[in-house]
Amino acid sequence: MSLTTPQGPAIASVKEINRAGDILKPRGGPNNSYRGPRWAPYIFLSPYFLLTALFFIYPLISAAVLAFYQTNGPSYRKYVGLENFRFILGDPDFHTAILNTLVFACGSVFIQLPLSLALAMMLNARSDRFKSLFRLAIFAPNLVGSVFVGILFMMLFTPRYGLFNQFLQTLVGWGLEQRWLADPSLVMPAIIICTLWMYVGFNMIYFLAALQNVDANLVEAAKIDGAGPASIFWNVTRPAITPVATFVVVTSTIGSFNLYELPFTLLQGSGPNNSGLFAVTYLYNYFNSQDLGTAAAVGWVLAGMIFAVSLIQIFLSGTTRRDR
Amino acid sequence: MQFPYGNAALTLLVVSVLTGLGIGIVDVRKATRLDKPDIVFATFAKDHLPAYIPAIEKFEKENHCKVQLQYVDQPTVKGRLQAAMQVGAEVPDMVEILDGTMGTFTSGPLENVGFVDLTEKIKENGLADKLVKSRFGKWSSRGHLYALPHDVHPVMLAYRRDVCEQLGIDVSKLTTWDEFVRVGRQVTKDSDGDGVYDRYMIDLPADGGDALRLLMLQRGARLFDDKGNVCFDDELTAKTVCWYVRQTSGKSKISFPAGWGQNFAKTMQDATCLFFICPDWRTKQIQADVSAVKGKMALMPLPAWEPGGIRTSTWGGTGLAFPKQGKNFDLAWKLAMYLYYDPEQLGPRFLDNYILPPLTSAWTQPQFNEPDPFYSNQRRGMEYIKLAPQVPDEPAHTYAQTALGKLSEAYQNVVLHYEKNGDDGLEEFALAELKRCAERVRVMVDRNVFLRTDDRTSKGAAK
Amino acid sequence: MNWLHALLIVLVLVAVPLFAISRKLGWNYLRVTALLCISTVMLLPFVWLVCAAFKDRTVMNEFTFVPPIKTWVGDHVRQEVDGNVTFRPARDFAVPPKPDDIIPGTMNVNNFRKLFEVQQTAQGTVTFWRYIVNSLFLTCTGTVVSLFFCSLGGYTLAKYRFRGRSVLLTFMLASLMVPGVVFMIPNWEIIWRLGWMDSYKGLLIPGAVSVFGMFLFRQAMLDIPTDLIEAGRIDGCGEFRIYFSLVMPLVRPMIGAFCLLSFLGAWNSFIGPQMYLQTQAKLTLPVVLNQYIGVYSQQYGIFLAGTLLAIIPPAILFFALQREFISGLQSGALKQ
Repeated sequence: MSLTTPQGPAIASVKEINRAGDILKPRGGPNNSYRGPRWAPYIFLSPYFLLTALFFIYPLISAAVLAFYQTNGPSYRKYVGLENFRFILGDPDFHTAILNTLVFACGSVFIQLPLSLALAMMLNARSDRFKSLFRLAIFAPNLVGSVFVGILFMMLFTPRYGLFNQFLQTLVGWGLEQRWLADPSLVMPAIIICTLWMYVGFNMIYFLAALQNVDANLVEAAKIDGAGPASIFWNVTRPAITPVATFVVVTSTIGSFNLYELPFTLLQGSGPNNSGLFAVTYLYNYFNSQDLGTAAAVGWVLAGMIFAVSLIQIFLSGTTRRDR
Repeated sequence: MQFPYGNAALTLLVVSVLTGLGIGIVDVRKATRLDKPDIVFATFAKDHLPAYIPAIEKFEKENHCKVQLQYVDQPTVKGRLQAAMQVGAEVPDMVEILDGTMGTFTSGPLENVGFVDLTEKIKENGLADKLVKSRFGKWSSRGHLYALPHDVHPVMLAYRRDVCEQLGIDVSKLTTWDEFVRVGRQVTKDSDGDGVYDRYMIDLPADGGDALRLLMLQRGARLFDDKGNVCFDDELTAKTVCWYVRQTSGKSKISFPAGWGQNFAKTMQDATCLFFICPDWRTKQIQADVSAVKGKMALMPLPAWEPGGIRTSTWGGTGLAFPKQGKNFDLAWKLAMYLYYDPEQLGPRFLDNYILPPLTSAWTQPQFNEPDPFYSNQRRGMEYIKLAPQVPDEPAHTYAQTALGKLSEAYQNVVLHYEKNGDDGLEEFALAELKRCAERVRVMVDRNVFLRTDDRTSKGAAK
Repeated sequence: MNWLHALLIVLVLVAVPLFAISRKLGWNYLRVTALLCISTVMLLPFVWLVCAAFKDRTVMNEFTFVPPIKTWVGDHVRQEVDGNVTFRPARDFAVPPKPDDIIPGTMNVNNFRKLFEVQQTAQGTVTFWRYIVNSLFLTCTGTVVSLFFCSLGGYTLAKYRFRGRSVLLTFMLASLMVPGVVFMIPNWEIIWRLGWMDSYKGLLIPGAVSVFGMFLFRQAMLDIPTDLIEAGRIDGCGEFRIYFSLVMPLVRPMIGAFCLLSFLGAWNSFIGPQMYLQTQAKLTLPVVLNQYIGVYSQQYGIFLAGTLLAIIPPAILFFALQREFISGLQSGALKQ
């Protein structure tokens, strides 16, 4: 796991973002921190300092400088001022990329997360002996790397012969000949289906962990009071899982902004009519054509957008905490 | 005693140490045996290796040198090489690159191109006249040649001869695309009445990518003109796009996208499609992947756009470039001449890789004249050689990939329009779409300061 | 109306009498059935993968999952009669069929055999075992190293108060939001300048400390009572000793969770090894398998066989760590 891993477990990393409020104030009261010798924290953190300086701050600065240049590799550069920013902000392809990314993020948030929650609740309803088997089955796709998943689904989505197309045909009598990866209107559904398969289990695990926070006594008490399942969910379960839910929402949104490997292998590019062009793919294309300056500018715009999303999130998580 | 940090951590630690030791021991033993090569040769084409390995062994013996052959996959060749040339890292002395990638290597001022300029070199030793002329454009930028062409890659149609005979299709009459489509409409039908066509005339990809481009090329419609200006928003391109759309979408379509690999094989085996666009390199793939159609296939030239028009196009290509940072150019050049343009070798190699070399004097080798039982005893080599002089030129351009992407965008929009409105105003719409997309490409080209200033002073851009 | 519809209708119909007996039973039945269906759908690609990996390349697309059992072993000849494909045992022909026409059984291990064939490369011969060992080494070493540094960092962040801590924490959070691709080219240059190209150093060292991992451990360690640490100090433990033998054993579930997450990430990582490794014998599984899907030739069968093998180690780890993984995530990371 590296600092720069764009996907996978790094998705989980962002859980901490909605906790920024927490971090800024010392947690657990004044006695929970330990005053050791002065040198110890700095020594213990020195590997982090060293690697961050080398592999984070230096590249960041060089990328910041690059954004104002047009380049042909690092050796040839020409100062262009804000031209790069002006160009990408006016580029219809960049708009498409952002729009696709947002649509995909919405797909993740409004399709994947409710499904993950439903699965977690179904699994959590009773402790039966099949629980761990179901859990394994639903989590299993996470064991496959996104490079493999891309090519695997490329084959599953084949018109006529692909497993998915045949399954759909048997189930609803439609879809045998659909070109999931070549039809501009189907590319986005295809990617959402693919990521649904990949990540639904992971988010389910988070919700499963969150559901452990639900106070069983409270549920029993509500039942005795005659509350229906809907009312119990809204009044007891919802508040208990809200922190995790908000975190998972941000996680998925930021994960969507970092989506790269999957479309790269699944579509071998950005898909027909740029229907599979995502923000990071757009950035990568400029890297690939030696235009590092524009790529760096895109990176900064993206970072700004992610930052804004995160700030909204920190704000939201603050409100939810006051709710309770 | 239990490991206090859990068994998982312990297992990982043990595996880490064991594998580390294993790798260490193997590599130390190997390192004592390995000496530094004189030339490093990188290629992305796995299919070229079987021919290169014995040839290189022979070359090593004759010249008392050591050549290291690296196989790297295509995105990596491009990505690594680009990165290595940018930061001045170690690069191979010679490298095979894929058609369409030359443009990105030449996106800067000429003096910043990372490859050795071969223009004078090939004039000196006469290669300029010995090779098929139209193959240089692919590997040039602003009149300078940066790689040697490996192949000609003329395009034909491979077809299911047996099924065509059954259906009474006389392929010798399919000399124009109009005739081809007319027959195709009769062939493409749903015979069991389930609402899905069971047979199509031809395999055409539905993304408006390579096939559309090669059909445009055949018709003389290009992405960029000779001066490098974007020109795919003309009437001819619009007409070709509309033609392609009519064959791939809507009720009257005659094509099915067979895709690649196993799906392609299945489509061919089941004769779901009868005709397949087939450059020389694909004849080998078909033979390897679809053994069931042995003797049932045959090749024919592409139908022409106008009676008497050219009957072929081109698809793909490999070029051999010499990074400037390479250490041993003279030896590398010698190896290149030996591998690429030695007639004695090219004959037997054609049996192995089925790829037509651009060296015209090699075509007299007997191997090009051998009948191939897989393709109904046609003389496969001769069939392609006959078309080679007609192969159209397709000059490299830095924004070729961008233009292709935009062409595909226009194509997709035309498809949507066609599916909604049919033929009504199709060509006008296509023309407008192409204009819009071409304009975007122009914007991209114009903002490249290196190409812009190049006409006046190439040094002015450099800092 | 087909078998799938029939099956679904039957499954729903069974619920009716169960609801008549008791609502609880009915709901429970529906819950388990739904889970069963979903699990099946989730696992179908795996089933397909297993079947495809063992299918002969000639029948790759012929059958959705597996060909008829009687064609699995022995030599067969494929024939087309009126558009229907049939397989006849090779011995059924009066005149022996040509060797070209014979398929060696529709289900076989040819894909695996090809995968493990000795590869001729520039740097001598390599077999698939080597890539497995490489992957295992990189993944396990990377995990163990980052486990050490991340837990140490997390411990520091959780339990020490020092100047600049809140600034540092904010900086770390912000650093998580910068997309990784921004660093690609600058990092490449640094790695090259350091001379770590084509060496595992270039992959292991930059990934040795991850902010995410430190936060994971910090979160788990916040709940450790400070009194315990003070007590350890009074007993004469050094600062490092406290971390190593007092704190770490207390967060064992988090170690499990971290190991799994880190292992999955490193095992499947593609871009790093793809960019930094050059010698064929040093490559890792995802990179090598991706080579089978080349520009001019796509060997899906071999690729799928390799994918199947590549899933096994993480699957074993997940099986073994399932419980620790879940409780690790609960043990602080997600507790409010």
